[in-house]
Parts: sequence; structure tokens; C-alpha cells
Amino acid sequence: MNPPEKTPPGLRRPRALVGLALALGLGLVLAYSLLAQALAASARQSDQRRDVITLNALADLVRRAGGSGDGVRAVVSSWQSLLPQGSDVRVIAFSGIRLEASTFSEDQGDKAAPRRLAREEKPLYDRGQELRRAVETHREEGGARKPELADQPLPDGRRLLSAPVEVDGTVVGTVELATPAVPAVPPPGLTPALLAFFLPLLALAALSFAPLRRQWQLVAVAAVAFVAGLGGYARYSLNALEEGVRGSQAGVADQLRAMSERARAVMAEQNLATEPPLQPGTWDSDIYRRPQGLLTPEGAVNEVELTRRVEKLRGEASRALLGLGALGLALLLFVGLGGLHRLVATVVEHRQAYGYIVPAMVGMVVLVFFPFFYGITLSFTDANLYNTNEPLSAIWIGLRNYQEILGDFTIARQAENGAWVFNYLNFYWTLFFTVVWTITNVTIGVSVGLLLALILNTPNLAMRPLYRVLLILPWAMPNYITALIWKGMFHQQFGVVNHVLRMFGGQGLSWFESPFTSFLTALATNGWLSFPFMMVVSLGALQSIPMELYEAARVDGASRWQQFLSITLPSLKPALVPAIILSVVWTFNMFNIIFLVTEGEPGNSTEILVTQAYKYAFQRYRYGYAAAYSTVIFGILLLYSVVQNRLSRATEAT
Amino acid sequence: MATRREGVPHLPLHGVLVLFTLFTLYPILWVITIAFSGRQNLAIATLPSEPSTMDRLRAITPWPEVWSLSNFTSVMTDQPFARWMLNSAIIALGTTVVGVFLACTAAYAFSRFRFPGQRAGMMAFLVSQMFPGTLMLIPLFIILVQWLGLGSSRLGLIIVYATTSIPFSVWMLKGYFDTIPKDLEEAALMEGASVGRIFWSIILPLAKPAVAVTALFSFMTAWNEFILAATFMDQEAMYTAPVGLRFFVGGFSQQWGYFAAGSIIVSVPVVLLFLFLQKYLVSGLTAGSVKG
Repeated sequence: MNPPEKTPPGLRRPRALVGLALALGLGLVLAYSLLAQALAASARQSDQRRDVITLNALADLVRRAGGSGDGVRAVVSSWQSLLPQGSDVRVIAFSGIRLEASTFSEDQGDKAAPRRLAREEKPLYDRGQELRRAVETHREEGGARKPELADQPLPDGRRLLSAPVEVDGTVVGTVELATPAVPAVPPPGLTPALLAFFLPLLALAALSFAPLRRQWQLVAVAAVAFVAGLGGYARYSLNALEEGVRGSQAGVADQLRAMSERARAVMAEQNLATEPPLQPGTWDSDIYRRPQGLLTPEGAVNEVELTRRVEKLRGEASRALLGLGALGLALLLFVGLGGLHRLVATVVEHRQAYGYIVPAMVGMVVLVFFPFFYGITLSFTDANLYNTNEPLSAIWIGLRNYQEILGDFTIARQAENGAWVFNYLNFYWTLFFTVVWTITNVTIGVSVGLLLALILNTPNLAMRPLYRVLLILPWAMPNYITALIWKGMFHQQFGVVNHVLRMFGGQGLSWFESPFTSFLTALATNGWLSFPFMMVVSLGALQSIPMELYEAARVDGASRWQQFLSITLPSLKPALVPAIILSVVWTFNMFNIIFLVTEGEPGNSTEILVTQAYKYAFQRYRYGYAAAYSTVIFGILLLYSVVQNRLSRATEAT
Repeated sequence: MATRREGVPHLPLHGVLVLFTLFTLYPILWVITIAFSGRQNLAIATLPSEPSTMDRLRAITPWPEVWSLSNFTSVMTDQPFARWMLNSAIIALGTTVVGVFLACTAAYAFSRFRFPGQRAGMMAFLVSQMFPGTLMLIPLFIILVQWLGLGSSRLGLIIVYATTSIPFSVWMLKGYFDTIPKDLEEAALMEGASVGRIFWSIILPLAKPAVAVTALFSFMTAWNEFILAATFMDQEAMYTAPVGLRFFVGGFSQQWGYFAAGSIIVSVPVVLLFLFLQKYLVSGLTAGSVKG
């Protein structure tokens, strides 16, 4: 690496300027799009809140009108005038599957409410039933898991919001509100971003004529200019964001007050029940119908809560901007100190080599290395099926997954009646099972394989090639097919294994109902398919042992057993040891056999680590936890290969 | 070692071999029996309510009561199995073409050029082989299905299979390219041939056997892959053959006849391929792990 001092003077200024321009450009473009997105999200949110307030107010009135009948129609018609242009309302009652009231254009004339819902309108009814189920679930569980308000786009571009109508604690129908599409929010102004871009550049250009001796000094000035430019824009955008959020609150509060006034008027006009008293504050709710808390019950803005939210938002935005700053600074240093120049030079010099490698490398980076590191990152989060769209920082839980996996030592506990209850989901149980599984399988594979190889190596044995081909078949079969075949053969009622047992007077076993027999089925399957590999490897090694060695040993009077110990085994070692190392890793990761034969039955007791991780991810949908689990598996394999490398080096040295 | 004069008698050896061969062949014969039985039943023979020993013996003898091809014909016509085979074939062929092409170019560069990052690149390929499948599966699922929307698409599986097959193929091909003498290329270079031309018209033709073997391995791996396919393909029409076979007998479905017939159709080509390829596989695997 060239020392920075040696940068030719002619290159100093352009490098610093290009570095600053690139860093600022990248930082500002990203910051601008972040701001635009945040503002749009905030506007969308307040729009939705306004609609939800309208909907909840209406649902409240419909409830007071009894959920069905003429009262509801009167409420709807007197409400209609208050709705913005292009909005429509309809009320559906579950009893009789009826459309109680509607202002939709398709429900006029002979289809006017009230009427029974037509067959093709079943989705309306189903949507209501779904909301009813959500409300009931939440009442039972005391939580909020499924949305109690539905929000979906209509084909004509409007949005349709639905809310349940509860009368005396039961959901009797739904109110639906179609609102016109939200006009797009104008993007934030470009001027501040342009200023933040050009001012530092001009400043640097001016300063670069000052007698700065060394490149790093110029780069330091550029860095200061960068921080000033991006920092200034960050300040501006945080303020703009806060202003946007605060500004939209007043609109929502106005809406709430207007709605509550109107509701009181309608209640008086229609003689609706006034008990319980109107609580407009609860109308401003999220999709689980929990109050947002941003407005007071009277409809004024709740400044304390608002400030708290704004602070939280500012914190998140500042963190993102800080990250941008670090990124931009790194880019600036890289370009300014000549890193980019050297990189380009290297790439140009070896362009042919890189040209040949790039396609494969890009594929590997995108689909192997990036997923690997992304997986490790996920292991520090609480990612699951429901929050994959959230930013990682929002679901970051640090080392909690690892604590949960590695810190839980209660493999078994004593139940009240004194019996031991195993927790087969415990990591250490699965680890123990995996180790037992690996050791037994490799032992069986090596001993059977070696025995058959020794027999097949007998000179002049008849039909040797035939035996060899037939014995190799299990390795050639796709292993998922093998697994499914054995699964069938171990069937409790019709499986051949149980027929054999019964033939000899035994009872057929339910193989998958106890951990031990379940383990045996997987062992038999894997034993069947894994011995040929060991056999082929051993056979190859045996055939390369020169006959002269044995003849010499015989001349010296060595017994066959001595010959085996001092000639055969040592000559097998170079081939057998790598094969064993390989087969340990294979067996440790033998997903298909466990997944398809035992399926972890009974009660997850026969899972190995990889199948357990898979089930956490794709049956329990705990992606973060499963990623942590897999990272632990990776750690174990890494440890294994390090130890194995050390050992093999040590044995080579002696 | 043992010669006929003083060695062990061959008869007990044959006994052991026959025993193991029977053990090896039994599941294969079993699946053939079920396939040709013409029924969906898991049992070879129906037992009377008070079965005698002979009945029991009949129930475990892998010989169908009636020979019938109906399982084969109906699995290919009534069931979507032909479509699943087609999916598998397209995916395996696509994987082979894409994977081998990428591996060839990369292996050539690693073998013939000296450049910064060469060692690191080869090591990265080697290390990537140690990444556990499940750790990759979750991010791959999120990237491919949730970000790129390639769930239940052949293209998604081809991309994933091809990239994951690259490291093994690169190591195998680089080993072979290294053995091709450089004189030829130097001569061609003197004549004014470009690097691309040398690669296409000298190296690749010379490396045909290694490329063929690598291609066959890629094909077999993709053809036999189960986990990724089972995770990414959740529409029945997009199943690959392995996922489809599992569909016949997984859960509450008990269509063992279809499964058996399908298994035979799927395995025969790969078993033959394997028997042809196994000597390359053994030397490749053990050589790799000795170096590693």
C-alpha cells in the first residue's frame, strides 16, 4: 500500500473532491428518500386514523341503534351528509344475513337495502365473521393478535374499512366504510438537499487552494465538510419530520371533535340510547381497536404522549442517519486516500481473471455468503412469520435466543406423581441424541463396511463383481426414497418388519411410539444406506496394499491376526480416517432420514439438531430462534473441524 | 494374504455375503413388489384373520400376488406425477447448465491466472461448504420467497441449486485444469489467440471428461434434492418429483402403489448414473477431505 504522502499533487484535489461528492451524494440521496418515506408514512397514518375515527363513530351509533332495523337506516342517512365526497357506507347484520343499509351505488334501485345478501356477496358476510372471531379470541385470551378492523383496497381504487358492531357483548354485524383514495403526499423540497450537497463541495474546493502539504489533511477537511453537510441536512429532515407528525395531529383532532358533535346531534335526533355515555377518545384506535392514546377523550391532542412518540421516531431516524454518516465517511476516506484508485487499477490489471470469476462470485455472494451473514444477524432478533417486514432494529433482542437455547438445562423434571417428564425440545437433549445417533451410525457403517470389504478382498472369490454391485445399491438410491421405503416397512399394522416379528411369535411393535424403537428405525435405515460408502473406500485401500508385505510377514511367521493388526489396519488408515471424518459430518447433518422416517416422533424426542432447527423455522415459524439454533450448530461443526485438523496434524507430525 | 491353499474356506464367506446382499436387496425388492402389485396397499398380501405361518411368510415374500402395470400407467396419467417429473427435469437441467458454466469459468481463472484474492476466493468456496443447510435455508427463504417472490417457481430453485453446487464443481474442475499442460496455451497465445478463444477451443475440449462428470454430479444432486424443494414449492403443480413422492405417502395420504411406481421411475436413471460415476465420486471426496 502506498503511503498517502506519495500521492501525486495533481491527483490530491480531484480525489478529495470526488470522494466528498460521492459520499455526500450517496448520503443525501438515501437521507432524502428516508425522509420522503417517513413523511408519506406519517401522512398515510393520519389519514387512516381519520377514517378509523369516522368508522368507529358510525359503528358506535349503529350499535346504539340496535344493529339492525329502521334506526340503523336513519342513522346512516343522516350520517351520509357528513362524509367526504366519494365515501360510502354499508351495514350488515348477521342475523338473517342481511344488508341493513347501504349508500353504495350498486345497492340502489331494486337492490336497495334492506335485503338479504346475495350468494355472490358472501365475502362481505365472511369478512364480518372473521372480525367476530377476532373479537371473541381477544376476549378469551385477553390480548390482541388478529386485527379487529379490516382494511383492504377496492377494485375502484378506494379503500374499504370494516368494523364489527357489538350489541350487549356479542358481535351482531359489521359496518363498512369505503373512502376515496388518499392523494399522494408531495415529496419534501429538494432545495435543502441541494444546498447540503453543493455548499460543502464549494467550501472544499475553495479550501483546497490553501497550502495543505499532505493528502490526509485535505481528506480531513473533506470529512469535516461531509459531516457538516450531512449533519445539517439530518437536522433539517428531523425537524421536517417532527413538524409533519405534529401538524397532522391537529387534523385528526378536528376530525374527532367534528365526529363527536355530529354523533351527539344524531343521537338526539334519532332518540338513541345515551347509556353508556359517548367516549369519542376511544374512536381513535389501531386495527386491534385499542385507543392510540394520542388524543384526550375530549378530542384535544395529548401533548405528553405525542412528545413521547415524536422522541421515539426522532431516535430511530437519528440512528439511521448516523449509520448513513458512517457509511459515507468510510466511502470518503476510501476514495480520498486513494483506495478507489488502487482498486480500479487492480481490477483493470487483472480484468480477465476477474471477468471469469465475477459471475460465479456474484452468485455465491448473493445466495451463499449474504444469506449466511444475514442468518447470523437474524439470530439476534425475534424474527417470525408475522414481522418479516419490520426493520431488524425493531425486533433486535440481542443474545436472548442464545440464552434461551444454551441456558436451559432442564432436560427432565419430576412431575407431581414422581415420574420423570422429559423436555425433548431442550437443546441438550437434542445434542445428546445427535451425538448418540452419529456415533452409533458411524460405528455400524465402519464395521459393516470394513467386514464386507475384507471378505470381498479375498482373492479368487467367486462372483465378486456381482456382490460388489448389489451391495453398493443402497448408496445409489436417492436417500429420501430409502427413508420413505423404510418408513413403510416399519408400519405398525402392515409393515413387513412387524410381520416378521409376528411370524416368530412376537407382537407387532408401534415403532414410533417410544423414543428408543423410533431411534432404531432411523438407525436401521441409515445403517442400510451408509455402509456401502465405507465398504467402497476400504476396498479401494485394501486393494492398494502390496501382496509382498503379507508374504514377508508370513516368512517371519506372523499370524493372520498379527498381519491384520500391523499391515492391514495401518494401510487402511489414510483412506479410512478422512472417510470417517466425512461420514461423521454427513450423519450429524442427515436431515432426510430423521425428517422422513421418525419425523421426530414421539414428541420431538428423536429430532437431531438440524431437523429441530428446521422445525423451529418452518413449523413454529420462529425464524430468529431457528437462526440462533443453526448458528450454534455451525459453531459445533466449526469446533469439530478445528479439533479434527489439529489432531490430524499432530498425528502426521509424529 | 490368504491364498486358496492356506486361506479361509470360501463357503462361510459366501454365507455372510449372501446374508448382507439379501438385507441390501430386500427393501428394493419390496418397493418393486408394491409397484407391480397394482394396488395402493402397503401390505404385500392380505392376511386372513387367523393367519398361519405360511400366510405370514407369504406376507413378507417380496413377490406380488398379481403382476400388474396399472400403478405405473396411472401414476403417469391420472396423477400429476408426469408434471412433477418434468419440473424436476427442467430444474436439474437448468441447474446443470448454469452451475457448470459458472464453475468452468471460475475454475479456469483460479487455475490459470495469478491475481489478488485468488487464495481467499478458493478458501471462501471451501468454507462455504461448511455452512449448515438450515442456517442458509431461513435467509434464502426470506430472500427468495418474501423479497424476490420466487416461491413455487422453477427459476428460484435453479438459481439456488446452481450457486450451491458451484464450490464443489470449482474444486473438482480446478484440480483437472491444473493437470492440463500449459504448453498448448502458450503456443496458442504466440499465435495471437485471445484468452476467451483459448478457454473455449483448447481448455474446454481437453477437459471434457471432467466437465461431463461435474455436470452429471450437479444433475444428480439437483434431481435428488428434497429439503429446499419441499420448503420453496408449496403449490402442488410446482412440486418436484421428490416432494411429489413424499406427497403420496406423507401425512394421511397412503398411496403406496403410486409412491413405489414413482420411486422406481425416478431412481432407475440415477442409480445407473451413480454406478457409472462412483469411482470418480470416491476419489474426489476423499482427496478433498485429505487436503482440507
